[in-house]
Amino acid sequence: MEIEELTPHIEEIQRVLGDKIDEEQLRAELDKYLNEYHVNIDAAKRSIIRKYGGSDTSTFVTGNSLVKKIADLSGTEQNVDITAKVVFVDNKEITVKGLPKKIISGIIGDETGTVSFTVWEPGSMVLTKGSVYVFRNCYCKLWNDKAQVHIGNRGKVEAAEGVKIELPERQITAASPTEIKIGNIKDGMGSVTVTGKVMSIESKEIVARGEPKTVFSGIIADDTGKIQFSAWSDFGIKEGESLCIANAYIRSWKGIPQLNMGDRCEISRVDAIDNVVDTSENRKTVDEISRIGGGLDITLEGLIVDVRQGSGIIRRCPQCNRSMLNGACTTHGMVEGIMDLRLKVVIDDGTGAIGAIINRADTEKLTGVTLQAAQGLAAVKGEAVVGREITSKALMKRVRVTGNVMSDDYGPSIIVKSIEKVEFDLEAEASKLLDEVEAAI
Amino acid sequence: MNARETAWRVFATELNSTTLEIKAAEEKAPSYIVTPLGAKINRVLIAGVMTEKENIGSEEEPMWKARIQDVSGSFYINVGKFQPEASAAIADIEIPSFVAAVGRVRTYTTDDQRVFVSVRPEHIIPISETVRNEWILETAKSTWKRLTDTKKVLGMGDATEQDLVKAGMSPTEAFGITYALDNYGQMPDSALYLKTIQAALRMLLPDRDVDLGFPEDLSDEPDEIELPEGSNANNSAQMEDLILNLLEELDTDGKGAPREELERRAESEGISSIELEEVTNILMDKGLVYEPNLRYLKRI
Repeated sequence: MEIEELTPHIEEIQRVLGDKIDEEQLRAELDKYLNEYHVNIDAAKRSIIRKYGGSDTSTFVTGNSLVKKIADLSGTEQNVDITAKVVFVDNKEITVKGLPKKIISGIIGDETGTVSFTVWEPGSMVLTKGSVYVFRNCYCKLWNDKAQVHIGNRGKVEAAEGVKIELPERQITAASPTEIKIGNIKDGMGSVTVTGKVMSIESKEIVARGEPKTVFSGIIADDTGKIQFSAWSDFGIKEGESLCIANAYIRSWKGIPQLNMGDRCEISRVDAIDNVVDTSENRKTVDEISRIGGGLDITLEGLIVDVRQGSGIIRRCPQCNRSMLNGACTTHGMVEGIMDLRLKVVIDDGTGAIGAIINRADTEKLTGVTLQAAQGLAAVKGEAVVGREITSKALMKRVRVTGNVMSDDYGPSIIVKSIEKVEFDLEAEASKLLDEVEAAI
Repeated sequence: MNARETAWRVFATELNSTTLEIKAAEEKAPSYIVTPLGAKINRVLIAGVMTEKENIGSEEEPMWKARIQDVSGSFYINVGKFQPEASAAIADIEIPSFVAAVGRVRTYTTDDQRVFVSVRPEHIIPISETVRNEWILETAKSTWKRLTDTKKVLGMGDATEQDLVKAGMSPTEAFGITYALDNYGQMPDSALYLKTIQAALRMLLPDRDVDLGFPEDLSDEPDEIELPEGSNANNSAQMEDLILNLLEELDTDGKGAPREELERRAESEGISSIELEEVTNILMDKGLVYEPNLRYLKRI
């Protein structure tokens, strides 16, 4: 930043610091922060004021705050005033740097939209749902591409007496829900309509946004696949019913799509559907899995084409059960690890490759090497030899695995719940191919 | 997405009749070959009988050449110091025996523009005859699928990739077939692949008199190919492999490989400290290595 451009900032700092620093010194100081250390201007000003004993930060509200409607928030505002109605509010206790801290968070809305907010220094502040307040000197941040309003120690919340705000009807996503087969549901879809049979359902008591709530969750299936659902209110769903579920929405957890029935969801009973997928086996090719992203209890078949680092004997943290690195747990530090055996492999079925993590019991079953035997071998020849041994036992094995699949940048992976070696009737399969080829040529 | 490349099941006939290559446009992107039947291949899974092996390197630095014969022809295998696991394994494999291998394909163009394809296995292991037969079946099925898909596409006139995806092919299949038909400039020699499938079925069903109406001769293949290892020994992928191996070797106490030691060893392999820096950055970006602290580098 050029020296001339510094002038307004210098004046501002002088207003705060008074004669604690002379202008020349201040100019040099600011120049050092900005041009030598490339600190941004706000941080530089803050540091200088602290360094020279400036006190109250509240005098440091730069310029006048803006007044904005919620829909106009970009998420980058440093100082903004918002008049809005509290749609939902929750007093929370969180832990900051190991210390408990009370905050207030929730959702506020005006005619243009809603936004989540947090009051970081509420003191004895009480916000009432349905009341209108003026939130002064807020700052905004972007989270998941949505603006959030923060009221920090220089922010204020004042009751807006006499101001009425009518919230618009909840925005309904523009596109009408697509009617879709369960097998084609993907991560990132919005509203959907599906027809299927309820395979199981159970109710759970949870605390959502500070209020106790009963959710109903289970599995619903059609002839193409099955999916976990959560109903956020009681639709009276019973196991075995066949339903058309309109306006449900898809949310994914670690790439596994789940069907959510919110308050816009409409459910109608339909004629019994009988040709649902065998929910005991949801067979997919790796190519299909890659396109869906993830799912529950998926079964696939392929060859183990690679065994990855981290296979063989590992140590797990006795407190959190996660695998340790170099004798230390990333969370709990140096602990006496518990020995375990596992395999991290790549399974390839010719349509694609998927990572698979295989636990001790299944590793023992697949390779015939027990943890005890592995420990014995490790004691004599070292753990690297154990790794090589189970690698050679696992490679090129044709396996059928079932488990939950999720995806990341490195493609899909499956946490294996069960594994078995595949044996097929080679002659019958070959005859089938022969018949097919003969019929075609 | 950095997903792992599929290991394609292909017979030697299809692999060896491949002349199309899609070279990586960017530094780290994978290269592919596209077979006449539209398989877009970076990696293969092959199986068969290893009929020859020869160490054309030295005792200390072996460089194996080998042939693996399937039902119709031979795969050409090269294993060098950048495939340490396969290199160690191949030394112990007896000739002849059933083996399976997974690895990346490489092409080699002769002066008279003939293209040869070879395989550099990451893994090569002895298998039973049953496993070999399962591979033959699986590969026959997938060859048949590519053949029928190609026929289908030929019958669709000017179908675009999107049309093919709509018709139920995966995007990779749709791309591969379109690319093959557009770039080979001729129809695939379906007789060659049918003969291969016939040979596969004869192998699997010795008691059924399999006859698809093709004579037995199919030796359209090259006798021998020489692949110069080391001609571009310092390309990035090889350096990465080398560094990964060094990391493993130098990690004697589980703390990782000491930087200084790594630099010294890399230097002796002809990798400058600047190159080493670049390669380790790439490896860190890929999530393959990390720094337990500033003086160490460790494989994940």
